[in-house]
Amino acid sequence: MSRRIVIAHLYPGDMNIYGDQGNVLALIRRLEWRGYAAEVRAVSIGQPFDFATADIVFGGGGQDSGQSIIGADLLTRGPELRAAAAAGMPMLLICGLYQLFGRGFTTLDGRELSGIDVFKASTIGSTTRMIGNIIVESPRFGRLVGFENHSGQTILEPTQAPLGRVTSGYGNDARSHKEGAISGNAIGTYLHGPVLPKNPRLADDLLLHALQARYGVTELEPLDDGVEKAAANIAYGRPR
Amino acid sequence: MATSAISSGAPCDWWPGSFLRYTLRMNVALTLAITKSAAKTSRLLGRGGGGALPGVIADRLDKGLARKLIRQIPHGVIIITGTNGKTTTTKMLAGILEACGERVLTNRSGSNLRRGVLSSLIGAASWRGKIPATIALFEVDEASLRRIAPELQPRHIIVLNLFRDQLDRYGELDTTAALIGQGIAATKAHVHLNADDPLVASLAKYAGPDRAHFFGIEGLPASSTTAYPTAADSNRCPVCGTMLVFVRVFYGHIGHYACPTGDFARPQPSTAITSVERADLSGSQFTLAVGGKRHEATLALPGTYNLYNALASVAVADGLGLPVIKVVAELARTEAAFGRVEIVSVDGRKVYLLLIKNPAGFAQVMETFLLGSVSPHILMLINDDHADGRDVSWLWDVPLEALEPLSPVVTTSGTRGTDMQLRLKYAGVTARNVINADQALKAFIRGIQPGGTGFILPTYTAMTAIRRQLGKRAVISEIRI
Repeated sequence: MSRRIVIAHLYPGDMNIYGDQGNVLALIRRLEWRGYAAEVRAVSIGQPFDFATADIVFGGGGQDSGQSIIGADLLTRGPELRAAAAAGMPMLLICGLYQLFGRGFTTLDGRELSGIDVFKASTIGSTTRMIGNIIVESPRFGRLVGFENHSGQTILEPTQAPLGRVTSGYGNDARSHKEGAISGNAIGTYLHGPVLPKNPRLADDLLLHALQARYGVTELEPLDDGVEKAAANIAYGRPR
Repeated sequence: MATSAISSGAPCDWWPGSFLRYTLRMNVALTLAITKSAAKTSRLLGRGGGGALPGVIADRLDKGLARKLIRQIPHGVIIITGTNGKTTTTKMLAGILEACGERVLTNRSGSNLRRGVLSSLIGAASWRGKIPATIALFEVDEASLRRIAPELQPRHIIVLNLFRDQLDRYGELDTTAALIGQGIAATKAHVHLNADDPLVASLAKYAGPDRAHFFGIEGLPASSTTAYPTAADSNRCPVCGTMLVFVRVFYGHIGHYACPTGDFARPQPSTAITSVERADLSGSQFTLAVGGKRHEATLALPGTYNLYNALASVAVADGLGLPVIKVVAELARTEAAFGRVEIVSVDGRKVYLLLIKNPAGFAQVMETFLLGSVSPHILMLINDDHADGRDVSWLWDVPLEALEPLSPVVTTSGTRGTDMQLRLKYAGVTARNVINADQALKAFIRGIQPGGTGFILPTYTAMTAIRRQLGKRAVISEIRI
């Protein structure tokens, strides 16, 4: 029996845009290439889900309508997800779900979407769309490359650590040069592209923490990341 | 007479206007003289074909120019919009209209923003403002319809489909739909909507029941329907947001659907394909129902997506009162549009040129041309210029896993060739990336046996580049399907 990692994919029907499927695929393949099994379980509106059975939580971006649809359901899972994040469960939230894993999102027309407080960050809608290639220097993961496309501006509270510092692009709010948020092993970011295939260190960090918690694994077998690095280098060299 | 119409003398800060604005109230002929000379000068200076320039200048001189020029075209304007199939449908419908005796004015596919359409009108007009066309047919970018439709007051609008496409430009699909809706609401046009695309069908509310017409497919052979799941771009009810239930899926989110709450369902199409008798690489043979009458038809373009393009063309032709028998005869003669399906012969190899723009289009190209072949030779050219979409994350929404069992021989190139190579790696397909596009083409061609077949899948700007390259090699004898 090969050792299995369960990925909880939050609302794949409504929050799945900009190639988010690629992030899930990166996790699956990088487990399989190392001889582990991967299983993806969808978390859907109104369906019971026990996060204790999962090893990694993933949530992607969506249209504004998608965010409104899933908002109330996410709130019911807030306490469980907060506890899991505090216990060190690896999580990756992109764009729309990154926003809802914070305090909340105030839209341009004044609607309030409550978040689940995993990140000490608040988002407000703006008329500026922040679009383009983005490069981030992260203390934990080194250089990260991706593409951002959002109009929400996310402001981190002073005690909230960002994922990294923007060297090219907008990031959380186009002013602070901060991008994303990181609390324990829970990571929120505006980077898509999708983010994991071209930033394998980030993918492997999520996997190592998942394998450690479930099976006591302390080290990952290295993979040949030649194509990943080449694609990241090209992305690094593209204009904004 | 349009040429004698006096403009409102819009204020202007561009130089030809700045010395004219105090002395003249400009008329159409003068505006045309200035804009046409500017386009010519631009060409002479080697600054390209003058593309959108006449439109830009005309806007500064006379905001009402399009309205005035359009007035003289006796059968008015038809607009085609939607994510995929605009160019092909424009070509198809233009062929039908010409066969029925119309003189047709169209725009080029690269000129489907407002100023591009305006430039096409200016280009077609004589110095006196005469346009020798009896009908105008414009493909219009989804986000531009809102601005262009009130000016052109089209008599018919076609909305083909709505897929995720270059989200960096439009934001989100719901936003795009709302923009199209505003365009529809600003006209009195008859609106022809794809009944099988829920978001498109929902646009009927902007037109009202008297102006909304639907086209759709009732049944397809099993071999023509999607055999693997693709990302559905619109799977929620546009009225209440509940998950739609699909009883049939033809591809992507195109099929037969209903909302379980009963507030929204696929409308009954008045122009429909009732059955498809044959579908292969040479095209399709099918039964068409128009206004309750059935006709046997053939289309020389392969792929389910082209059946929808044909349906839209027939729906408008019928709406114009053209004889259906003549329309059906013309369908059989339709050729593919630039780069959509072209076959070229390169060094004795048969090479398909198949434009890819977004996940839905890419999936349809794979399904129509690649699935079922053994070790196909494929060259994928991925650029990230503005016209391609700066964001290449869409490659991860393409079901490339379906290629893996074919053991394809894949070369990638283009500014984002490595992104394609990476996507393929995670789909289980090993590709080689060749940075230099010339060398990539050579390596790809050399890999194919003489007499064999290969497939080039380029994004928009890569298509333009590869055709130039093929031209340079001077070994192409172009055959069109």
